[in-house]
Amino acid sequence: MAEVLSGTTGHRRRALSAGALHKLSALLTLAALIVVFSFGNDAFFSVNNGLTVLLQTAVIGLLGIGMTVVIITGGIDLSVGSVLALAGVVAGLLVKAGIPVVPAMMLGVASGTLCGLVNGFVITRMRITPFVATLGMMMIARGIALQVTGAAPISRLGEAFGVLGNGALFRILEMGDNGFPRVIFPGIPYPAILLLVMALAGAYLLRQRQVGRHIYAVGSNEEAARLAGVNVARTKIEAYAMSGTLAGLSGVVLMSRLVTAQPNEGVMYELDAIAAAVIGGASLMGGVGNISGTMIGAFIIGVLRNGLNMAGVSSFIQQILIGVVVIAAVYIDQVRNRR
Amino acid sequence: MTAVGQPGIPAATTPLAETPLVEMVGIEKHFGGVIAVDHVSIDLRAGEVVGVLGHNGAGKSCLMRILSGAMEPSEGRIRVGGNDVTIASPSDARALGIETIYQTLALADHLDAPANLFMGRELKTRFGNLDDKRMLREARQVIQRLNPNFKNLSDPVSKLSGGQRQVIAIARAIYFNVKILIMDEPTAALGPSETAMVAELIKRLSAEGIGIFLVSHDMHDVFDLCDRVVVMNKGRNVGAYPIDHVSKDDVLSLIVKGSLPDEWLPRSSA
Repeated sequence: MAEVLSGTTGHRRRALSAGALHKLSALLTLAALIVVFSFGNDAFFSVNNGLTVLLQTAVIGLLGIGMTVVIITGGIDLSVGSVLALAGVVAGLLVKAGIPVVPAMMLGVASGTLCGLVNGFVITRMRITPFVATLGMMMIARGIALQVTGAAPISRLGEAFGVLGNGALFRILEMGDNGFPRVIFPGIPYPAILLLVMALAGAYLLRQRQVGRHIYAVGSNEEAARLAGVNVARTKIEAYAMSGTLAGLSGVVLMSRLVTAQPNEGVMYELDAIAAAVIGGASLMGGVGNISGTMIGAFIIGVLRNGLNMAGVSSFIQQILIGVVVIAAVYIDQVRNRR
Repeated sequence: MTAVGQPGIPAATTPLAETPLVEMVGIEKHFGGVIAVDHVSIDLRAGEVVGVLGHNGAGKSCLMRILSGAMEPSEGRIRVGGNDVTIASPSDARALGIETIYQTLALADHLDAPANLFMGRELKTRFGNLDDKRMLREARQVIQRLNPNFKNLSDPVSKLSGGQRQVIAIARAIYFNVKILIMDEPTAALGPSETAMVAELIKRLSAEGIGIFLVSHDMHDVFDLCDRVVVMNKGRNVGAYPIDHVSKDDVLSLIVKGSLPDEWLPRSSA
């Protein structure tokens, strides 16, 4: 009888490589894109452009981390683009009201957390599906951002407001002969550092902490998780709160980069975040996904946008191509899993 | 350390084995106007295997779900080890030593065997991180005691055979100091040799003093393994008999009609 119960030991290697294989193919796609664009344009493969890509990808990457966490639970968060706008606007208005930049930005991020908590409560307590709940929050947060600003951007926020989005670590400047500073080394942009820190924190939470294990368990089999004593509602609320917090953070980063609080910013960003997670191997059915995959997905989108921009391809064609990439990534994954 | 036998120190007034492990008294469960469980009382003693039988919808699964904390009763009391308890969640049940092996096995397909075994009760390091190494070690020990050939512990359980999945569900139930085990159709999805393994396990666990509720449709299993049968019909307990007092026909009659055959006489209770 023992023979029947034992599986083939050959299983192990193949199963372990399934997720790794997806990541590898995504990574190869990213590398191929970089090579192709480098041949197309000398300016693409340069330190400056690399930093531009980092900066551009930071916002989608931050949103993608939260989105991944939510998608692993089997949910979706359509509100992140609007929450981003709301958080930036809150930070901007608070600065205008005389509150120092750092606490104002922290409160902006907190407003994102609050939106996420509301999403979590609506989904778990009112038993509204994540799609509908976060669609509602998408409209509510955008509406609030537009209402409190009268739909006008808030500018003249002061130099300090722009540091988070425009500053860089290890930037080396030299006074030029003409009296203007000359950049010797542009440094590592703060948004890129923030993205790295948040990605590491997210990966740590998912892999090493109980809440992460529960997030996977809930997404894999919610009823089983409940019967095993996992607090399903709390786990989901935590996931949406994380997504809201990261949306708030990316809002503050983006508005800081613009040195303007724009209530119209971030429209459709949720779709880029979902695309990044899905290209990175997350399954909308839940239970599958990881941060490193999403980061690769975010950079595929970022590099594609940047490279196509430099090649003079219109933004409409870019949309078409990114759409194709998303479908292709999921299709390839499905074919592989069917085998 | 054997204080009980020493002179001058009073021994416990009631021997432990006399107190049922669990008593469910006057349990009712209503869904709107529908009565799923109608004033049912049932008990279980240490080392006893009690078969819970009945048609689909007779209320047996509902009764067991109430005991396992998956569902709250509308009325009635539950006593565990002689004490009144409230079981409001699966965690409450587990804290009382009540473990359940569900017919669906209740496994998270994307996670591996150790993650499933410790789901909801993860082992952690001093710093509060998941202790995956220790969970793997512990899981290997308990799983390989059940099936020495189970080697692929790091596979997602979706890749495993039905028998292996069953082993994980069983391992999860017996790892944490189980006192009362609920098995819902544990052999329904298994082949003959795997069924034999489960039967062997039930005998071993009851010999260790664990009380088992066995929900089953399989008459052969019931008569092979159970000390007592409780038959439910339309939400009511229509009979509880020691297994050697009834025949298969008697039990079938209870399941189908809700009563014993018309000219029933107890079989020898010897």
